[in-house]
Amino acid sequence: MKKILVKLLGGEKLQMMRISLFAILLSLIVGTVIFLVIGKSPLAAYTNLLQGSGLFPKAQYAGRQSMFTDFMSFLDALTPMIFAALAVAVAFRAGMFNIGVSGMMLAAGFAASVTVGQSAMAAPLAKPLVLVIGIIAGALVGALIGWLKYRFNINEVVSSIMINYTLMYIFSFYLNSFMIDPVSRQSKAVTDASRLTLPAVQAFGLRFNIPLAFPLAVIAALIMWFILNRTTIGYEIKAVGLGKGAARYAGISIPKNIVLAMTISGALSGIAGVAYFCGYNASIQPGVIPSMGFNAIAVALLGNADPIGCIFASILITILSKGSIYMSSQQGVDIEMADLITAVILIFAACAEFIKMYVGKISMENKKEVQKQ
Amino acid sequence: MSNPEYIVEMKHITKRFPGLTANDDVTIQIKKGEIYALLGENGAGKSTLMSVLFGMYEPDEGEIFIRGEKVKIESPRQATKLGIGMVHQHFRLVSNYTVAENIILGSEPQNKLMGFIPRVNIKKANEDIAGLSEKYGLKVDPTAVISDLSVSAQQRVEILKMLYRDAEILIFDEPTAVLTPQEIEYLLDIIRGLRDNGKTIIIITHKLEEIKSIADRCAILNRGKLISILDVKEASTAEMARLMVGREVSFSSGKTEAKPGEVVLKVEDLKVNNDVGYEAVKGVSFEIRSGEIFALAGVSGNGQNELADAIAGLKKCKSGKITLCGKDITDLSIRKRTEEGIAYIPEDRQSVGLVMGFCLSDNIVLKKYYKDGFSSHTVLDRKAIEKNGERLIEEYDIRSSRGNKTITSSMSGGNQQKAIIAREIDLKTPLIIFMQPTRGLDIGAISNIHKQMIAERDRGAAVLLISLELDEIMDCADTIGVIFDGKINRIAKASELSINEVGRFMMGVEEGGRSA
Repeated sequence: MKKILVKLLGGEKLQMMRISLFAILLSLIVGTVIFLVIGKSPLAAYTNLLQGSGLFPKAQYAGRQSMFTDFMSFLDALTPMIFAALAVAVAFRAGMFNIGVSGMMLAAGFAASVTVGQSAMAAPLAKPLVLVIGIIAGALVGALIGWLKYRFNINEVVSSIMINYTLMYIFSFYLNSFMIDPVSRQSKAVTDASRLTLPAVQAFGLRFNIPLAFPLAVIAALIMWFILNRTTIGYEIKAVGLGKGAARYAGISIPKNIVLAMTISGALSGIAGVAYFCGYNASIQPGVIPSMGFNAIAVALLGNADPIGCIFASILITILSKGSIYMSSQQGVDIEMADLITAVILIFAACAEFIKMYVGKISMENKKEVQKQ
Repeated sequence: MSNPEYIVEMKHITKRFPGLTANDDVTIQIKKGEIYALLGENGAGKSTLMSVLFGMYEPDEGEIFIRGEKVKIESPRQATKLGIGMVHQHFRLVSNYTVAENIILGSEPQNKLMGFIPRVNIKKANEDIAGLSEKYGLKVDPTAVISDLSVSAQQRVEILKMLYRDAEILIFDEPTAVLTPQEIEYLLDIIRGLRDNGKTIIIITHKLEEIKSIADRCAILNRGKLISILDVKEASTAEMARLMVGREVSFSSGKTEAKPGEVVLKVEDLKVNNDVGYEAVKGVSFEIRSGEIFALAGVSGNGQNELADAIAGLKKCKSGKITLCGKDITDLSIRKRTEEGIAYIPEDRQSVGLVMGFCLSDNIVLKKYYKDGFSSHTVLDRKAIEKNGERLIEEYDIRSSRGNKTITSSMSGGNQQKAIIAREIDLKTPLIIFMQPTRGLDIGAISNIHKQMIAERDRGAAVLLISLELDEIMDCADTIGVIFDGKINRIAKASELSINEVGRFMMGVEEGGRSA
């Protein structure tokens, strides 16, 4: 058993990727056991997850619906998740734990909703403007957290949690006072012109949503990959994240890179925010912090804080969250089951570093035994 | 056979580690109620010997007798049962627990709540500890939280921890290394008090004046071997210093005469604070010329780290002036200084010298990645970086499993050091600082580094070598400065100083054997 593990997961080449895959496999096995225990077919359940996400055809569809409809809706949910995961990943690379993605998303969503979202601006102007406002709002919150860290040495985890709540309550107060829709108890919906998702497009005899920001998410991941791996900016951010002492010794400014990384992280969170609140949704629910910002931490972990890895990890988590509704209705299990599987995956993903250490340890032991013989 | 006069006897102890014999047939016998000092340079085997006594290492050969009975000490727990206590150089305290909670940890006094629920009787613990601290003059408040205490108070907690467990044999591992002079005086008084209360004390140190002031007898170790056991009253500090460092020079680097040129580095009346704000460099002045190796000798913790960091720009100067090639660099940033011409091989290669999570080629380019040829308009030229890595890996024979792509943390210490040296020498700067460049390396690697250092000198660089190894200093230096307590108390041509003289200055002993 140990030897197999070492063979599969030892060695440096692509090790973290193999470990992530291993973590997913473990969680699926645990999920299988859970389904078996409650007397459901794991295979059917997993198929339902894919069907709900539009990645596998369902047995039947309602009018103007098809696998394509589900798939577009899946992309719509995937888009903000990729941005949020990238935001966490960039901060990770600089050695910081950005728990503030949710707050930054709210800030961006709020800023765009109350301005462009309520205006009569035409789509060609409104949509880019929403994006720009989102980026600026998110980046400002990110820069604030970075600045607090370097100027007053306030731990980013503490400051970002506080800022999450502070922003949420301020925005809730404003929305409840001036912008509430009395029927839905949500903020008044933003105009379709300003939404980053084209809702209910009718074509090919179907009705579906088009997430305009999805290509941007893929491009953003590629750009982030390039910045992190092929530029001096990424080199410095990674040096600060991996070894502050050595970075300082090499003449790299730690404060500058901390603020920079948090600003980039904030900008990405901002896009996630507008893609979520002025795209996937069209309104903000007062008094709620979006859980996506927290899930993104686990997604980034699962993706090894690598931008490309983040895309795949986001896909996986979105399959679970999107597919779970269909699964629960088909299998007659509670929607919490899907959350449970997600949670199991995240727990194993968070164990990646442990798995790496454990493999390192047993491969050392194996070597010793070989030497003894 | 054992003699009842001795409370501790360690006979023919040999302890080997891969590639090195830390203790080689060492025999010491310690009488009840005496203060016994273990003296030796860094790496002489003092700490290993005491770790054997405290059950942290098992000796490969030899026997231990405690109170005349042969024992096999397999763990610190067992050592504690035998009445042996140890204050480590790095304290082992839970920083958010109170003094009393730390002291009782592992042997908590209990009472029964409502007759059956066991709970820690913290009240009794506080009283007991207050009593103990009264008895031995160890001032600490049992209810204070550790993180609020000064280093010396934490040390007193460590001492109380031993006393609380009724230890009779107390081992102190370099107890004064972290203390200020006043605190040292206070600690030495405490140790005397412990002896007067019937405790037996073993103190590890390399400070002669402390031994002179408190120890009854002193065993001198050198490279794992027991050199001599002296009665402290009858021995002079000069003699102890000679025994501690005296030996034949192991190998010589075969260098030619230096041809010093222009002054490259000039340091004037430099004062630097250490991390805790205590003045560690107290007004140092010296200069180094091109084509000269200036070696700074000294026992560890006399301000060398702070001095090197201040020159390289990693620490701020409190006052004084640093001039490089005629230009005042006192207030320049680290990067500016590198560009002005300082290469620095730091002491801590793992957390300062290298980004351990980076691959080898990224570490090799650590000081040049932003320059033309390696990047343009912030876009890195990966090919140039790889090529640079390959060139230096080849040239400096850096061995690793996957060449450029090897994650640095998976490399051996010797190869990590090679990577740093390759990177720094390749900067081709007028000044190179070598801080403890050969620490922990094997003979072959050491002699290679010495050759590289000398080659740099011959190229015309000014070399500042800071080392705790006297052999290294004597082998490589053209000029020797000796630092003691933050001041350079002697600068002379290497040819004018004998190893014993340098050893004496290192101990702060002035001409004639008087203790400073």
